[in-house]
Amino acid sequence: MLEVKNLMKRFRLDNKTIKENKKKAKELLDVREEGRWFNAVQDVSFSCDPGQVLGLLGPNGAGKTTCLRMLSTALQPTSGQIAINGEDVVAEPLAMRKRIGFLSATTGLYHRLTVRENIQYFGRLHGMSEENLEIEMNKVFELLDINSFADKKAVSLSTGMKQRANIARTVIHQPEVIVLDEPTTGLDVISAKTILDFIESYKGSKVPVVFSTHHLHEVEKLCDKVVLINDGVTKFNGFLDEFKALNKSGKLYDVFIQLVENKEVA
Amino acid sequence: MLKVYFKELLELTRDKKTLIFTILLPTLIMPVIMFGFISLGTRIVKKSVDEDLKYSIIGSGHYAQLAEELKQNKKFKFVEINANDDAEELINEGKIRFAIVIPEDTKSKMAQGLSAEIEMLYNDSASTSSILYRRVKNTLEALVKAETQTRYKNLGLTEEQGIAVNKPIKIIRKSTADERENFGEKLGGLLPYILILVGFSGAMYPAIDLGVGEKERGTLETLLLTPVPRFQLVFAKFLVIFTTSFISVFLSLISFGLMATVFGPAMISGLAAGGNNDIEQLMSALSTITMFDVSLMILMLVPIAAIFASMLLSVSIYARNFKEAQNYMSPLAMIIILPLILSLLPGVKLDWVWASVPITNVSLAIKEIFKGTMDLGMLAVIFASTTIIAGALLALCNWWFQREQVLFRT
Repeated sequence: MLEVKNLMKRFRLDNKTIKENKKKAKELLDVREEGRWFNAVQDVSFSCDPGQVLGLLGPNGAGKTTCLRMLSTALQPTSGQIAINGEDVVAEPLAMRKRIGFLSATTGLYHRLTVRENIQYFGRLHGMSEENLEIEMNKVFELLDINSFADKKAVSLSTGMKQRANIARTVIHQPEVIVLDEPTTGLDVISAKTILDFIESYKGSKVPVVFSTHHLHEVEKLCDKVVLINDGVTKFNGFLDEFKALNKSGKLYDVFIQLVENKEVA
Repeated sequence: MLKVYFKELLELTRDKKTLIFTILLPTLIMPVIMFGFISLGTRIVKKSVDEDLKYSIIGSGHYAQLAEELKQNKKFKFVEINANDDAEELINEGKIRFAIVIPEDTKSKMAQGLSAEIEMLYNDSASTSSILYRRVKNTLEALVKAETQTRYKNLGLTEEQGIAVNKPIKIIRKSTADERENFGEKLGGLLPYILILVGFSGAMYPAIDLGVGEKERGTLETLLLTPVPRFQLVFAKFLVIFTTSFISVFLSLISFGLMATVFGPAMISGLAAGGNNDIEQLMSALSTITMFDVSLMILMLVPIAAIFASMLLSVSIYARNFKEAQNYMSPLAMIIILPLILSLLPGVKLDWVWASVPITNVSLAIKEIFKGTMDLGMLAVIFASTTIIAGALLALCNWWFQREQVLFRT
């Protein structure tokens, strides 16, 4: 189980922004700017049980990526708690990395290595034995339909192929939690379907999956739970049905707009 | 850590740019500089010695013998000029190469046994002008010698006495430096200059690839999220850059050594045939450099390669993109060149003051090794201090790598 409580992350603003902010009227400042600090994530809490898929929603700049980077241990939270099966992720980031599979929105592959070499490299860095690595690779390559380009250098792959390879890299070490930041952005329909099917395959498993997206149809199709954040604060945290029920139309789009724009329930 | 190290090396060996900067360029740079420039220089000198020279004489009637003597040289082509022509202009326009101006009073001065002042006009800014001057002087040598002997005779002096009258005290220069020390002093500064710059360029591209290159490809974040301690990642990357830098320097030195020992003798005969005795002496001086000397040079370049690896990796990881990294590295190269230039300045010798200036000290130490006059105690101190600097920079690089502001700088 993945639990996130009162997560907060603040960054120091650069001197140029601080100077510019001093000249601005208070109303024009971002609500998250506080003197020399920018509170990218102010208060985010949610939980995701094994086998559940949680969709993290929010407009651009809402703090989704910062939030997911904290889950992955790439960034250290300023305050708040993250736990996997009750174990503190923040206190032991190095040990917990073996248990987390994270796909960043800007992730890439080593261009001069083949897909197989890329996956092997990360598998080895996660301490996998050669035998286990081989078994897992065969399994993941099959699921993500990678075998046809497994021995091609990453530089020669299409965007869809690269993303499938990235997903394989994310899950090769059999993580206990999977965190995906906009995994289908920029992909064609077929590639996106392969990835969505792959995420769906974790439903009912022992692994909780958290993924951020701007595509509401993906949330409709995959998610058990939804978390919507805006300005670094949780605006909604609950099950998909509860989310949809916030608007009479029952449409995700309407609820999203309603929550982000702070409108009354229609 | 070794997994990261070997993977990075594998990737670099698949990159043409790295192979060019790390292997091809360092291997070729020494032979190109030494053989290329020496051969080219010899060819230019040989051409200057053999070429036909157009010249004019102003006032040839005032000392006919001299004019006749010049005409005897078949390579000198006499060009008649009018009284109105400006000889200097003709030289600068390239119509003639030199002009001899014989003053009116020459004949009377010669008759009185006085010294005649004959002017030779030529363009001294040309790189081969000294050869031109020497050719004219040599042509007139016989005339001057005959005149001198006649005067000795008229004065009732033997040739020996005449010489003694000209130079009552003769100071003979005798250098205590052997050939190697002599050439080491003149050329030894160039070797570390090239080697250190080769080390820098050998580290630069891999540093960009392993730092900001990972950022741009989007692989850095993924790498940082593996359960490998951050220091091990930094150290593995540092080691790869250090390896490429060191390989570059090593290959340069090896190609230099090969050139001096294996191809050197063949070059000597070829170049000496062009009348260049300095080359012969240089090659013979180079042949006295032992494997121990070469090992000492390599040893001194180890911490230098480590300094470059740490510095360049820090800069690379800080940069937002490839272009920004290059913008930071260009001034860094200038900072490296400055202490190297210091070591080339005349009068700058390895003492305890210069031994405390980073990079300059290593450059001077390599020069001393080249000359065969290195103080091993001082060498050890320079090695230790440079290693400490390299260690401190590596620690700084590691600290840099821990900072979120650096890693996720946008």
